[in-house]
Amino acid sequence: MTIPFFGESIFVPSDVIAAWILSILLGAILFIYVMKKRKWPIIWEYMRTTNHRKIGTMYILFGVIFFIRAGTDALLIRLQLAQPHAEFWVFQQDKYNELFTTHGTMMIFFVAMPLLIGLMNAAVPLQIGARDLAFPFLNAVSFWLFLGGAVLFNMSFFFNSAPNAGWTGYAPLSTDTFTPDVGNDYYIFSLQLSGLGTIFTAINMIVTIIRHRAPGMKLTRMPLFPWATLITSFLILIAFSVLSMGLYLLMFDRMFGTGFFSDDTGSPVYWQHLFWIFGHPEVYILALPAFGIFSDVIAAFSKKRIFGYPAMVLSIALIGFLGFMVWAHHMFTVGLGPMANTFFAVTTMLIAVPTGIKVFNWLFTMRGGVVKITTPMLFALGFIPTFVMGGVTGVMLSVAAANFQYHDTHFVVAHFHYTIIGSTILGIFAGLYFWYPKITGKVLDEKLGKWHFWLFIIGFHLTFLPMHITGLQGMPRRVYTYEWGDELFALNLTSTIGAFLMGSSMLFVVWNLYKTHKYGEKAGNDPWDGRTLEWTVPSPSPEHSFEPMPIVKEMDPFWYAKIAGEKLRTTNNARPAPISTKTIVPLCIAVSLSIMSIGMIYTWYLLAVLGGASAFLLFIVRSLTDERKEYYRKEEHSNE
Amino acid sequence: MNEQMTLFADKRAGFLLYLFVESIMFATLFATYLIFTPAPSGPKPTDIFEAKSVILSSVFLLSSSGTLILAEKGLKSHQSLKILIGLGTTFLLGLVFLGLEIHEFYKYVQEGNGLTVNVFMSAFYVLVGLHAAHVTFGCCWMILLSVQYKMMNLPYQLYTEKQRIFQYYWHFVDVIWVFIIILVYLPYLL
Repeated sequence: MTIPFFGESIFVPSDVIAAWILSILLGAILFIYVMKKRKWPIIWEYMRTTNHRKIGTMYILFGVIFFIRAGTDALLIRLQLAQPHAEFWVFQQDKYNELFTTHGTMMIFFVAMPLLIGLMNAAVPLQIGARDLAFPFLNAVSFWLFLGGAVLFNMSFFFNSAPNAGWTGYAPLSTDTFTPDVGNDYYIFSLQLSGLGTIFTAINMIVTIIRHRAPGMKLTRMPLFPWATLITSFLILIAFSVLSMGLYLLMFDRMFGTGFFSDDTGSPVYWQHLFWIFGHPEVYILALPAFGIFSDVIAAFSKKRIFGYPAMVLSIALIGFLGFMVWAHHMFTVGLGPMANTFFAVTTMLIAVPTGIKVFNWLFTMRGGVVKITTPMLFALGFIPTFVMGGVTGVMLSVAAANFQYHDTHFVVAHFHYTIIGSTILGIFAGLYFWYPKITGKVLDEKLGKWHFWLFIIGFHLTFLPMHITGLQGMPRRVYTYEWGDELFALNLTSTIGAFLMGSSMLFVVWNLYKTHKYGEKAGNDPWDGRTLEWTVPSPSPEHSFEPMPIVKEMDPFWYAKIAGEKLRTTNNARPAPISTKTIVPLCIAVSLSIMSIGMIYTWYLLAVLGGASAFLLFIVRSLTDERKEYYRKEEHSNE
Repeated sequence: MNEQMTLFADKRAGFLLYLFVESIMFATLFATYLIFTPAPSGPKPTDIFEAKSVILSSVFLLSSSGTLILAEKGLKSHQSLKILIGLGTTFLLGLVFLGLEIHEFYKYVQEGNGLTVNVFMSAFYVLVGLHAAHVTFGCCWMILLSVQYKMMNLPYQLYTEKQRIFQYYWHFVDVIWVFIIILVYLPYLL
C-alpha cells in the first residue's frame, strides 16, 4: 500500500499497516485500563524498583509478550508453508526472510533469555537464602537494557526495515554490500544492548551465588537450579563477550567501510567462527537452567532427593565446558578440512554422555518416589522423551559426513526445535507454574494448566516430527515455498495444523492468568510441599526476606525439617544484605543508550552523541547518588 | 566496619568479573588482529609502525600505573596530598598518552593509511582505538574521583572503595597496553 508522506508517497506493506493499527488499538485499550484502574503508582513503583522478584516479574511479563509476538511470526511462517506455491498475504521472498529472522532472533534473545533470567531472578536468591541479588541497581540496569534492546528490535518491523539475514546474521549477506537497508543495523544494536544487560546479569548471579548463600548452605548442598545458573553465568561471560565483539566488527563493516567479513578483503568464515563461539554455548545457556528447573521440579514432585546429585552437578559443568569445544559443528560444510571436522564431530558426540547421565538421573529420581502429576511435573515428564529425541538427532547431525546431507534442511529445524522447545520452553513453563505462587502469591489453575500442557506437547510433536521427514527429503530451511511434485504437502500441512494447536494452547495460558487472578485463592508459603528454602518465605516473597536467616545443615533443608517436625534453626547474625534502593536512573540509562543506538542506526550522529553523553552523565549521577553513602554514614556514626 | 568490608568484597568480585569480560572482548580483537595481519595488499605493519612513538607512549602509560600506587599509599595512610598528587600525575600521564595516540592515528591517516585501507589497518584501529577509549574513560573517571574526594564529603570508607575499584580498572587497561605492545607492535619492530 502506498501512503502519502510530506508530499512523497511511500510504499508500506499491508502487514506493517496492520501491525500499526493493532498496536495503536492495544495501546489505547491499555492506556484506558491503566487510567480507569488508577494503576500509575504501581507502574511508577516497578519503573524504579531494584527488588529481585519485581525485576524477575517484569522479565517474565515482557518475555511472555515477546513470546506471543514471535509465536505469531511462527504461525505466519507455517501459513506460508502450508501448501506448495502458497501466496499467503505478503510473506514471500524478502518478507519471508524478515519473518524467519525476526522469529529466530526474538525467540532466542527476547523470549528464552528473559524468561530464564526472570525465573533466576525470582527463584535463585530465595533458593540459596540470599536477601536480594548482590547488586540490585545493576540488576535493574540489566533489565532495562534488555527491554531497550527488545523494543529497538521490534521498532525495525514497524518502520518496514526488519533484519533479514537470519538470526545468525551470516556474512557477507549481513554486510552492507548485500543488505544496505538499516534492518541489520537494528539487529546489531539491539543485540548489543540486550547482550550487555545479559552480561551484567551473569556477573550479578555469580557474585550472589558465590557470596550470598545462607549460613551452612555449602555449594554441595545447593539446589540444582542455582547450580545451573552459576555455570550458565560463566558461559554467558565468555559467549556474550565474543558476540559483542563480533557485532562490533560487523558494525564497522556495515557503517564505516572496513572489510573484516567481506569476501574479497576479509573472511566471511571468520564471522561464522565468532558467531558460533557465542552461538553454541548459547544453546547450553538456554538448556542448562532448564535442566536445573527440571531437577528441582522432579525432586519436589517425586518426594525424593535428586538421584546422583554429584553426578548432576559434574555433568552440568562438563556440558558447559564441552559447549565451548563444539562450535564448528555448525560449519561442517564450510570446508575446514577433515581434521577439524573430525575433532568437532567427536567433541559433539561426547556431550551426549553427560546429557545422558542427567536423563538417567531424572528417571531414577522418579523411580520409587511418590510421583505427583501436577502441571509443572507434567512439563518435566514431557521434557524427557522430547529432549531425548532432540539429542538423538543431535548425534546424527554430529556425524560430519552425514551432516552434508542434513545441512540447512528442515531436519536441522526439527532438531533444534526439539532441543530448545523441548528443554528451554518446557522448562520455562514448568518453572513458571512451579514458582508462580512465589512470584504472585497465587497458584495457577491446575486444570487449565493441564489443557495448556497437552495441547502444547501434542501440537509441538505434530509440528516438528514431520519436519524430520521433509528435511530428509531435502526441503531446505529459510526458503519460502516448494513444488507440488516434491510430495511434501501432507507433511507440511500437518506441521501447520500442529503449530496452530501450540498457538491455541497459549490461549489457555491467558485464560488461566485471568481466572487465577480473578478467582484464585491466596497461596500459603508452601503450596507444593517443597524441599528448598524458597518455600519457607511468604508468597509472594517479601522485599525483606529471610529475617531471621535460616541455618542450613543438609541438602533440601526445609523438607528434612518438615519430616523431623521441627522448624529450621535461624540466626540473626547473617552477612549484610545488599542495599536496596528505589531509583529511576537504570531506566534512564537504558533509554539514553537506546537513543544513541537509534542515532547510530540512522547515522544521525548528533542524536547518537546526545544519547551517549546523556548515558555518561547518568553514570556520574549514579556515582554521586550512591545508595551506600547513607548506609556508610550510619555505620561511621555507630562506630564513633 | 566488617559489614562494609563484606559489601566491598562483593563489589570487588563483581568488578573483577567485569574485567574478565573485558579481557575476553580484547582477546577477540587480538585474535582478529593476528588473523588479518599482515594483509595481502595495502600498507604493511613494518612500513608504518615506528619504535619511537610506541616507546614514548608506553613510557607515559606504564609509568601512570606507578603514580597510581602513590595514590593508593595515600589512601592507606589517610594523606590527602599523596592521593591528590597520585591521581593528578596519573591523570596527566594518561592525557599525554592520549595525545600521543591521537598524534599517531593522525599521522597514519595523513599518510593515507586510514581505517578502510586494508584489513590490517582496520584491525589495528578497532583494537588500539578501543583501548584508547578505555584510557579516555579512565581519565574522566579520575576527574570524578577527585571531585568526589575534595567536595562531596563522602564517608572515607566509601571513597576508599571507589578509588580501589578505579585502580583495578586502570591497571587492567595498562596490562592490555602491554599485550598491545607485545602482539601488535613488537613482531614488526624487531
